[in-house]
Amino acid sequence: MPTPQDVVDASVHYQGEQTQSTIPSLLSVIIDTNPRAWSALNNTLTLTQAVANALVFTNAHLAGDNANEVSIIAAHCNRAVWLYPTPPRRNTNAEAAQPPLTGNEFPKFAEIKHSVFTSLRELVSETTEADIKSTTTTQISGALTLALTHINKTSISLTTSRGAGYGGGPTTGSGPVATSTDGLPGLNARIVVLSVSDSNPAQYITTMNAVFAAAHSQIPIDTLCLRGNPTFLQQASYLTRGIFIRAKEPQGIVQYLMLGLNRLPPSFEFASETSPNESSGKKGGGRGGTPFLLPNAELVDFRAACFCHRRVIDTGFVCSVCLSIFCEVPSEGECLTCKSKLQLGNYGARPVVA
Amino acid sequence: MAYQAEPSYQLSDYLEKLSGATLRKLYLQPSTSFAIFRQILSPLAQSFVQALLCMPGPIPVSKLDVWVRPDSRRARDYALATLRSLSIVQITGHGKGNPNVVQLSTNFQKSLRRALESGGDHRTFGIPSTSPVDAEITIDSLDKYSTKKWEEILHYVVNSVGGLDDGGSTGAHRSGPAPSVKRLLLEGHLVKARPGTNRMGITKPGFTFLLQKTNAQVWTLLLLWLDMAERAERASGSSSPSVDMLSFLFMLASLQLGRPYDADALTEARRNMLPALIDFGLIYINPRMPRQYYPTRLVTTLTSSISPLRSVSSGFSAIAAGTSDDVSSLGGVSKPSSRQEGIIVETNNRIYAYTRSPLQIAVLSLFTNLESYYPGLVSARLTRESIRRAISFGITADQIISYLGSHAHQEMRNFARDRMIAAVLPPTVVDQIKLWQLENDRITATPGFLFKDFENPDEYLAIANYADEVGVSAWRDDARQMFFAKKHEPIRDFMKSRKKASE
Repeated sequence: MPTPQDVVDASVHYQGEQTQSTIPSLLSVIIDTNPRAWSALNNTLTLTQAVANALVFTNAHLAGDNANEVSIIAAHCNRAVWLYPTPPRRNTNAEAAQPPLTGNEFPKFAEIKHSVFTSLRELVSETTEADIKSTTTTQISGALTLALTHINKTSISLTTSRGAGYGGGPTTGSGPVATSTDGLPGLNARIVVLSVSDSNPAQYITTMNAVFAAAHSQIPIDTLCLRGNPTFLQQASYLTRGIFIRAKEPQGIVQYLMLGLNRLPPSFEFASETSPNESSGKKGGGRGGTPFLLPNAELVDFRAACFCHRRVIDTGFVCSVCLSIFCEVPSEGECLTCKSKLQLGNYGARPVVA
Repeated sequence: MAYQAEPSYQLSDYLEKLSGATLRKLYLQPSTSFAIFRQILSPLAQSFVQALLCMPGPIPVSKLDVWVRPDSRRARDYALATLRSLSIVQITGHGKGNPNVVQLSTNFQKSLRRALESGGDHRTFGIPSTSPVDAEITIDSLDKYSTKKWEEILHYVVNSVGGLDDGGSTGAHRSGPAPSVKRLLLEGHLVKARPGTNRMGITKPGFTFLLQKTNAQVWTLLLLWLDMAERAERASGSSSPSVDMLSFLFMLASLQLGRPYDADALTEARRNMLPALIDFGLIYINPRMPRQYYPTRLVTTLTSSISPLRSVSSGFSAIAAGTSDDVSSLGGVSKPSSRQEGIIVETNNRIYAYTRSPLQIAVLSLFTNLESYYPGLVSARLTRESIRRAISFGITADQIISYLGSHAHQEMRNFARDRMIAAVLPPTVVDQIKLWQLENDRITATPGFLFKDFENPDEYLAIANYADEVGVSAWRDDARQMFFAKKHEPIRDFMKSRKKASE
C-alpha cells in the first residue's frame, strides 16, 4: 500500500476536492403545429395531447437541475412563434401572465404550461384560412433559427454574468474546461423537433444554414417524426450528431421522448459518477462522454434541393466556383449565385471507353 | 490520534440509512419524489429513472446493457446501486434461468409522474395564501432577512473558535441566533462548551460545517434538527415524526420565492415546525399577518445544485445587491454580485481576499496569517504554522483547498480557463498545503467493513469485483482473499442475489 507521501509527488498534482459545478442545460423544443398535418393525425394523436406530452418531457428536463432551462417554439404553417418564454408584450396586463397556483404542481411547470397553452390558443385563433391554403408545410427553418438565436443569447448572458464574479462559474470544474473549447461556453444546449410535416424544398438553404450553425456550436438537433417525411431534419440530425426517430405509434409519444430522446449533457463526466478510488476518468469517444448508446440512424436521405427551382434532385449541376446546385443548366451558363461564367464542356456526350 | 466515524449529515447518506418502508412512505408525496429526483440523483441515475418512468411493466436488467456503452458499466452499476439503496428501483429475480427484471418502485413512479405531468389533486406543492399581500415584502427583503439569520448562525460558530479575538473584530452587532439554534448546534456537536468557561468552542464537525456550501450547511442543520426531534419523540414514546417532517421540508423546497403561502392549510404538526424554521431563516412570517408564510431563498434552493447565498465567504452583502430580477429570464442562475469579490492565491502562498465580509475574514483567519487590512481587501499568507494551527483545530487540507477553490476570484478562473488548466488554484500551493498536513497526519481512516473467509476464490473474485464496480471498495488483497468496503449494504444485497441465483 502506498504511503501518503507517495501520493503527492512532483509529477502528479493533487486534484481532489476541486470545485465541481454543473453547467446548465438548455432544451429547445420545436413543435410543428402545421394544421393540415395535425388534422390528418387527429385520430391517433391530437395537438393538445402532443403538447401535453412534450411538457412532461420538458418538465423532466427541468427537474434534473435548478439551472436547467427550456424554450418552446411553434413552427406554424406561415411563421415561427415563441410559446415559452414569450416575448414581452405591450398590451397585456401582468395579472393574465401569472398562472394561478393550485398547490398541485411545481410553480415553474405551471408557468410554462400556462404560457404555452395561452400562446398556442392565440396562434390557432390568429391563423386564417388563407394562411393554411398558402402552404402545406411548416416554417421549420424559422423555428430552428429562433431556437439557435435564443441559445446563443442565453450562452452569452451566462458567460458574461458568470464572468462578472459569480462563484461556481462554468469553468471551475476540470471537465468544462476541456469541453467548452468549441461549442457554446457555459451552456449545454440541444434542440428537439417534433415533426409532422414533409420538408419544404423551398426552405432547403435556410434550413441547412441553421443546421450548419448548430453543428458549429455542437448543438445536437434531435427529431421525433410523428408523420410525414422530413428529409432535411434527417440530414440535420445526421450532421449535428442528433437522434432521428420515426414514431411508428404516435400515441406513445411520451415514451419516444423519455426513452428515445433521453440524453445526458455532453459535459457529463464519469468522475462524478463513479467512485473516487477509480481514477480512470475516461471519456467516451466522439460522443462527448455520454455513456448511452444512441439509436442507430436509419438510412439518411441526403438529396439536396437545387438553388434555381427548389426541387429535390438526385443528380444535378454544380457550380465549380461556389458549389451551388442547379437542376438544369442556368441560362447563358452563368451561375445564379456567384455570377461566374461556366463552361459546360461536352455535356451529354458518350464517354470514351478505352 | 483517535479515529471515529463521525455522523454524516449529508442528505443522501441520511436517506440511504432509512428503511425501505420509510422511504416508500416518503415517496407517496409527489413533491418529495420530485425533490429527491432533483437533489440526490446523479445525471445518469436521473436518465434511468426518466426512461423507466413510462415503462408499463418491469424490464429485464440486461436491457439496460443495450442502452449503456460497454465501457460505462461501472457508471451504470454505480447509478443502479444508488437507486436501489434509495428503494427507487426494484430489481427482482425469479430464480435461475429467468433474467432479473428492473422497475421503479410503485410509489415513486406514481408520485414522480404526477409531479411531472402536473396533474392530480394532491396539493403537496404548497397552498398559496389568498389573503391580501403585504407589498413591503419583496424578494429583496426576504433575501436580506434570510441572509441576516443565516449569518448570525455562522458567526456564532466562527466566533467560538479558540484563540481568536472574537467580539471586537468580527462585529459587535451580533445578538446571536435564537436559543433553540444554539442548543441545536451544541447538541449536534458543531460547537462544544469549553471547559472552565461559559464560552463555546468549535469542533471538527463544526469546521466541516463552516467550510461547506450554504446548501449543505442548511441540510446539515435540518438533519441535526430532525435527529433531535426524533430522539425527543422516541423518549416520549410516540411514533417517529421524521417522515412527515422530511416531507414538509421537501414541500417547502418546491415553493416559489416571494409568494405568500397559507399557514392554515398546514397540518398541526407542520404548523408547529414553523417557529424552528423561522429561527433558521428558512421562512418568514410577517408578525402582522401570522397566517401567511413566505419561503426564503435558503429553502427554495434546498434541492438545487446552485448555492443559494453563495457560501460563507461570498460576501453576504452581495446578495442584497442584485438577485431580485433573475427570476424572469433564467430562473435558477443568480445574478452576479460585485465584480471584485473573491480570493486570489499566488504561487508564493500569499492570499489577497477582496471582501468586506467580517465573516469571510474570520474564516480566512482560521488557516492563514492575516497581514494587512485595507478597505475591501485583506492580504494574508499561508504558512506552515497557520496550516498546522488549522489542522490542530481539526480542519483538513481538503477543506481548505476546496474553500479556496470555490471562492477563487474571477480573475483566477479566467486565468485558468485561458490556459486550459483544470485547476484554479496554483498546484504548488495545493500540494504544499497537502504536504503540511501530511507532516503530522500520516494516516487516513476509512470506516468500513472487512470481508474475508470466502468459501472459494470464485466467490471472492465475484464479490470483490462487484464492490469495485459499485465503488465501495477501499482496499483489496487478492492473495489473501480479503477486501475492505466502505459500505456493506450493496454487497449484502449482491451476495443475497448471488445465492438466490445459484439455487
